[in-house]
Amino acid sequence: MLQANYFDGRSTRVRVVDLSLAGDDLVIAGEDINLRVPFAQVTVDERLGRAPRRLRLTDGTFCEVRDLVALDTLLSSTGHRDGWVDRMQRHLQFILFSVVACVALVLMAYKWGLPWAAAKGAHHLPPAIGKTLSVQTLKLLDGKILMPSKIAEERRQALSAKFHALRLPEGGSPDSELLFRDSPQLGANAFTLPDGTIIVLDDLLTAIGGDPQALAVFAHELGHAHGRHGLQLLLQSSAVGAFWTLYIGDISNLLAAAPAAIVQARYSQDLERQADDYGAELLMHNGMSPALLADSLEKLAASPAGASKGGYLSSHPSTDERMRHLRQLGISFKDE
Amino acid sequence: MDKEQLRFTGSGGEYFGIWIVNLLLTIVTLGVYSAWAKVRRLQYFYRHTEVAGSSFDFHGSPSRILVGRVIALVMLFAYNYSVRLRSPLTIVILVLIAVVMPWLLRNSFRFRLYNTSWRGTRFHFRGTVAGAYRVFLLNGFLALITIYVMAPFMHQRLKAYQHDNSWFGRTRCSFHARAGQFYVIYLLLLAALVVFAIVIGLSGIGGALVALSQAQKQGGHANPFAVFRAVAIFYGALILVGVSIGPAFHALITNLIWNNTRIGEHRIECKISPSALIWITMSNFVLVVLTLGLFIPWAMVRLARVQLESVRLLPAGDLQEFVAAEPEAIGAVGEEAATVFDFDISL
Repeated sequence: MLQANYFDGRSTRVRVVDLSLAGDDLVIAGEDINLRVPFAQVTVDERLGRAPRRLRLTDGTFCEVRDLVALDTLLSSTGHRDGWVDRMQRHLQFILFSVVACVALVLMAYKWGLPWAAAKGAHHLPPAIGKTLSVQTLKLLDGKILMPSKIAEERRQALSAKFHALRLPEGGSPDSELLFRDSPQLGANAFTLPDGTIIVLDDLLTAIGGDPQALAVFAHELGHAHGRHGLQLLLQSSAVGAFWTLYIGDISNLLAAAPAAIVQARYSQDLERQADDYGAELLMHNGMSPALLADSLEKLAASPAGASKGGYLSSHPSTDERMRHLRQLGISFKDE
Repeated sequence: MDKEQLRFTGSGGEYFGIWIVNLLLTIVTLGVYSAWAKVRRLQYFYRHTEVAGSSFDFHGSPSRILVGRVIALVMLFAYNYSVRLRSPLTIVILVLIAVVMPWLLRNSFRFRLYNTSWRGTRFHFRGTVAGAYRVFLLNGFLALITIYVMAPFMHQRLKAYQHDNSWFGRTRCSFHARAGQFYVIYLLLLAALVVFAIVIGLSGIGGALVALSQAQKQGGHANPFAVFRAVAIFYGALILVGVSIGPAFHALITNLIWNNTRIGEHRIECKISPSALIWITMSNFVLVVLTLGLFIPWAMVRLARVQLESVRLLPAGDLQEFVAAEPEAIGAVGEEAATVFDFDISL
């Protein structure tokens, strides 16, 4: 015998009833009520902690049961089986497994899932987004961190002409804009905005010397533009921001730092290698050796401006390995 | 008639198992399962809340909540897109959201109340769409152009719209708090914030922030350590307000609202202690951060308990005599959109 409260769904009247089984039927008996319904038509609430469970009948009426142990006894003779989520929620081993799995999945998503999804997303975003972001970023930085270039006008024009005369491996010539700026803060550096605009700083041109080396650096930056690495990184940081916003509350103020992040973006080794490979391919396509890019890297590493904090190489990790790779490409290029 | 104290019988340890298993299922299904997890969370809290020996129940269907979540996400993306990238479309999208929002919020009230029951009798929300536009758009606009001097009045109108249009079965609820009472509590909030700002200023922390902003204006390089310290202090101050003045204000305003709400002739007494709520909020925050979130289930249970057990129902008659209304079907779109846009205006 199991005591329960019966509610008719039409009023808040409580009827105390006794529940019992008779064959395949549930019998509800109490104050002016005597019901007998096939148990197969009764829906049993899943167990949620020690909350009362309800046995719901098809007409919207139900019995509220507080004695969960007695209810289990009654259910055990009906062939009722709790749902799998219900059972997992009470199973200590599975709860511990869930803790470990949640932590592991979040870490994996951050390490691999996020870059993959951001790269996919970057290639599907309308170009207008990259354009707007880049225009805004440039507007914010010009006159504050970025100053007009002090390189002679003739050299800039000559470099621009050579840059636009480059033939891209996939055909055509670069449609990226090439901008010259000077920046005491950012030192010997070059970077690509989300729309592919390449900004090269005076200190970098001074440090690497010759035009072929400069073109090699541009080729590398075109690799970032081609792979839309800027947008990818932006999507990644937005996603991380959104995650923290949802997880611990509003930190939208921090997102105001986005323009600075675009410039000081730290590309992963993977993205740098992609940009190197594209740059090398582009150089060979134009009859130049990939070793030129290695030369530029070497000169930058040797110059105090390049290796200093905030310089080109600080955002481009493991230079030695990259130079070795590029020089190997250069040797095979000469052999052909 | 005896006072009927609300009881909350949930426990953090018990809820942890439910929370973590549903979190895992949500991650594995890339968020799809979150609708089912939400129903389970609400059911856990509703069913562990009881008054006069009977518990509440939540009836919302997960598939409806899922549809609502998809629509809410689309709106969230449109909102972010338009705010971050100022294009001619921005105004159009923002106006569209402003026009749709009151309707969605009204639907969210309807969905939430219709799917809440006690002793098998459901609640209902019967506020009109016109009323929603008046409360959210017109009053919101008034609050904005009066630099939020009207905000307490707007809050009072919103609560009146919500509670005057709520029904339990065929019994109508009513709201009796006056705007003047809201102003008193808002003035207390303002006074507390001013005192807080003065204390921050006197302690020299404000000085550090001013020095920092000046260094930035001159284009100079601030010492990275000083920058970090200033930023940490700034967010520390924000968090301190969030776990002290915030909960105290919440306790006072919630008490005012529920002490002035009646279900038919039945009255409600709500006595959340501001100091108790401050303590719970502070300790929850510290423990959630220290455990990287694993304390969340306990935090939720503690917060629910301190609030719910401060509420008593003062019956004016027999609680057995409420009669249910005719059933109606209601979608979940509004509620989900409101959740994503963080307009949690219910208790």
